[in-house]
Amino acid sequence: MSSVSERARGFATGPRDKWIAPAVIVLGLLYPWYVEALQALPLIGDFIPSTESMVVMVAFTMMALGLNIVVGYAGLLDLGYVAFYAVGAYTAGWFASQQFDQVTFSFLSSVPDDQPGIHITMWLVLLVAGFLTLFAGILIGLPTLRLRGDYLAIVTLGFGEIVPQVVRNGDNFFGFDLTHGTFGIAPIDAAGFPVLASFTSLPKNFQTSPNRAMWFYLGAFALLLITVFCTVRLRDSRLGRAWIAIREDETAAAAMGVPLMRTKTWSYAIGAFFGGVAGAYYASFRGGAFPADFYFQFSVFLLCMVILGGMGSVWGVIAGAMILGYLDREGLATIGSKIQDAGLEFDPTKYQFGIYGIIIVAMMLIRPAGLIPERRHRIELEEGVHDTPFYDVQLEGTLTDRDRTDD
Amino acid sequence: MPEDDLVVATKVRKEFGGLVATDDVDFTIPRGAIVSLIGPNGAGKTTFFNQLTGVYKPTSGSILFDGTEVSYLPPHTITKLGIGRTFQNIRLFQQMSAMENVLVGMNCRLHSGILGAIFRFPKVKREEEEAREKARELLVYCGLPRRHHERSGSLPHGDQRRLEVARALATEPKLLLLDEPTAGMNPQETAEFTAFVSKVRDEKGVTVLLIEHDMKVVMGVSERITVLEYGAKIAEGTPAEIRADERVIEAYLGHGVGQG
Amino acid sequence: MRSPKVVDGLGLGFVAVIVLWLAVNFFKDPTYFLNVGLDGLTRGTVYGVVALGYTLVYGILQLINFAHGDVFALSGLVASTMMLTVLSIDTGSSNAAVAGAVVVTLLVTVPLFAVLNGSIERVAYRPLRNAPRVAPLITAVGMSFIVQNVSLALYGVDYESGSELIPQGVAFNIGDVRFTWKLVIALAIIVPALAVLTWFVETTRQGKAMRAVAQDTEASAMMGINVNRTISTTFFIAGSLAAVAGLVFFLEFQVRYDTGFELGLIAFTAAVLGGIGNLPGAVLGALLIGFIQSYNEGLLWYAPGGDWTRSIVFGILIAVLVFRPEGLLGERTPEGA
Repeated sequence: MSSVSERARGFATGPRDKWIAPAVIVLGLLYPWYVEALQALPLIGDFIPSTESMVVMVAFTMMALGLNIVVGYAGLLDLGYVAFYAVGAYTAGWFASQQFDQVTFSFLSSVPDDQPGIHITMWLVLLVAGFLTLFAGILIGLPTLRLRGDYLAIVTLGFGEIVPQVVRNGDNFFGFDLTHGTFGIAPIDAAGFPVLASFTSLPKNFQTSPNRAMWFYLGAFALLLITVFCTVRLRDSRLGRAWIAIREDETAAAAMGVPLMRTKTWSYAIGAFFGGVAGAYYASFRGGAFPADFYFQFSVFLLCMVILGGMGSVWGVIAGAMILGYLDREGLATIGSKIQDAGLEFDPTKYQFGIYGIIIVAMMLIRPAGLIPERRHRIELEEGVHDTPFYDVQLEGTLTDRDRTDD
Repeated sequence: MPEDDLVVATKVRKEFGGLVATDDVDFTIPRGAIVSLIGPNGAGKTTFFNQLTGVYKPTSGSILFDGTEVSYLPPHTITKLGIGRTFQNIRLFQQMSAMENVLVGMNCRLHSGILGAIFRFPKVKREEEEAREKARELLVYCGLPRRHHERSGSLPHGDQRRLEVARALATEPKLLLLDEPTAGMNPQETAEFTAFVSKVRDEKGVTVLLIEHDMKVVMGVSERITVLEYGAKIAEGTPAEIRADERVIEAYLGHGVGQG
Repeated sequence: MRSPKVVDGLGLGFVAVIVLWLAVNFFKDPTYFLNVGLDGLTRGTVYGVVALGYTLVYGILQLINFAHGDVFALSGLVASTMMLTVLSIDTGSSNAAVAGAVVVTLLVTVPLFAVLNGSIERVAYRPLRNAPRVAPLITAVGMSFIVQNVSLALYGVDYESGSELIPQGVAFNIGDVRFTWKLVIALAIIVPALAVLTWFVETTRQGKAMRAVAQDTEASAMMGINVNRTISTTFFIAGSLAAVAGLVFFLEFQVRYDTGFELGLIAFTAAVLGGIGNLPGAVLGALLIGFIQSYNEGLLWYAPGGDWTRSIVFGILIAVLVFRPEGLLGERTPEGA
């Protein structure tokens, strides 16, 4: 364990570490080509995820990285990230399906032009979803981000509940069907390359292509790379430093000129952006946006990924997300069937949230910095942080006054 | 001369429920001066500091900084206007390196935003490089020639205090507030620091307000000393005047605190 | 940010609309209004007991114990086992038998859950005292899931309800206003529990220690108060309260492994509404929320209905935290709400 963390201290601590990232990228990219070979292996073959599952795992990883910006960088406990996932998914539902069949509008869409509804190419819809979710994040952030940590958590939880509830009841907005209520919006157009398809071997529509899973996976992988790139660039920038300063000691950060509300809102908005993009892409893969997919526990599921992997650590969050995403999609079911083969009547999928709860508690107590700690964070959580500690044990000269204006 | 006063605080009052922490204090700081604020423990010195920096909002009264009313402004705005500070119980960003701490100090003087962060335009790269160069110079100036990239929490105590000053100076302040900067320093470090305060004022043109318990430092570097007791101003004057002031001696003897 | 006058005006305007809505409904059918109100009172008393658990812990640790609601749900389920399985109470049992069973059940569940709650603190929260504030909060979320899944593992997805065991219908009438047995029983169990709690907090040494630590941990420690023991005591009491509430909820409504989530949020909102850390405030807030919920679901003139209850409760929470974080009875202290 310690050699992994030493090696992962920062992206590259020595010349031989520079090949880790490229190697992982290549391995990840080629996955659809060697997955079957892996699945044929004895013993571990059953545990190798299918390409379909990988698509979802990668989408979840994107969301986890988005959450990492809020929780890991800025240190804000967001328990309502599922709201961003929902906004992203429904944006895909609005701009790439037959939901608004009152009009017929098509733009570079992967489905035939004469289909009723708005059908814009998914790649553009992703962008729209990202920005819509970003604005939703700013809106939610306005009342929320001025609150103290524990209240912030509960209020984000609240929004994480309100958004799905609105979505469930959104089939009658003063007579207008916005979200098609409990049925959700389906089918949602798949991604595709309708223009490029005419002179390359790229598919017009992923859904109808013989290698559906592979194409969706490659698309997801590309999005993930973009997300990682942005995340790392942000971390090492003026904004990233401001976030981490806020995380460590909000009062000192403000005293050094960091505008708290604005900076926190940026983290929330950018985190939301990636959640929206991931949500829209996943909806495209899933073929629909369904209210049943959006529930509070999902936010905690994402949080568990960040905790398991390491708050603020890009590699860590990727690892945590892939592990938990795998468990959710296939792993627990596979383990369950193995257990049943052995004769025991135990179904781990029923208790998956209990398992995630155990992971969270265990990690916080034993290894709070995560599997692959961010260089800085490991020390912060194990040695204690200077900001208002759990017990306010400061005397005169404390800066625990909440009675102050902000932004 | 009022036009030369960088800070004009009038009848500043701070109440916490029933407790009066700052009792109608009038306080001015002449531009370019080094002044000190002293008083026994609990006198309200840091509370006053906090109102200057926007961490507390005064219950009543006004604080003018360089002509601008700041009593209701948030801390980061006040910092941008030109007040930088250190903290009584060192509040460095412990997990960040010394370099990163100073860079955070420069936050309000840099301009790159999210797009600049992601795309690293040439202008942004240049700004970052210049910032790091400036930060390096500042660290050396403040007595930290080495260990810029180590975790700042693992630096020795004296270095951490120096780093806090470097970080405060990175905000390009007109007024530098130092809250018990020599606490925990040995006599040699204290003497060096006292000389350093004068150097900073002389070379960087920064006005300095000091809270201190160490009387050697106070008497050695201050041009004017203000004494608080129970949140109220009980004396103000030159070091010589204060040393001889009955009420000051009374206040300190009564509380049994004070050195030198 | 100090809310500007416009926002204050909006808030007041909103409250005025609510009052108007209530008044119209009242005048349309006063008896119905009051009956719905009493229904709210019944719920509100149970919410109050759970809310007290949240506010006690928050007052002393500034921690939202997310697991509290799930402990409450589990205690309701265990109470069902006690009453239905162990004590074999069924619809044929006499009222005296039921009453006796209630007492015996409480004698078992109260200590059990006091200890369980205290253990949770000991194992999951105490080691994180010096960690950054997010840490125990995150752990509490994890703990909540664990407790919930324990309930799931032991009881499955079935609802347990004891509402057939207690006398049905109306206990007595005042005019046309119906005072149901549910209300009477709830008050009969809860009021004594609250009395004991009040006695404990006001008069005993441990109770005073709790209040001292809630006000100023450092000073209390310096005055010789054993902070650890005081915190444990607080968790014991919160656990006991959860057990009482769980039993009542089982008797009057129905309990399931996930009942704690919704109820926990409602109760926490009540605590915040009344003023977090403030004990009477928690009860007041809970009663208000009970009324709001009942009026929302029961009134006939433009009531949003049950689907929207959760959103309304969250809306209240958000509104309180943004506009009046100290709640109705709290004080604006330097430490904030």
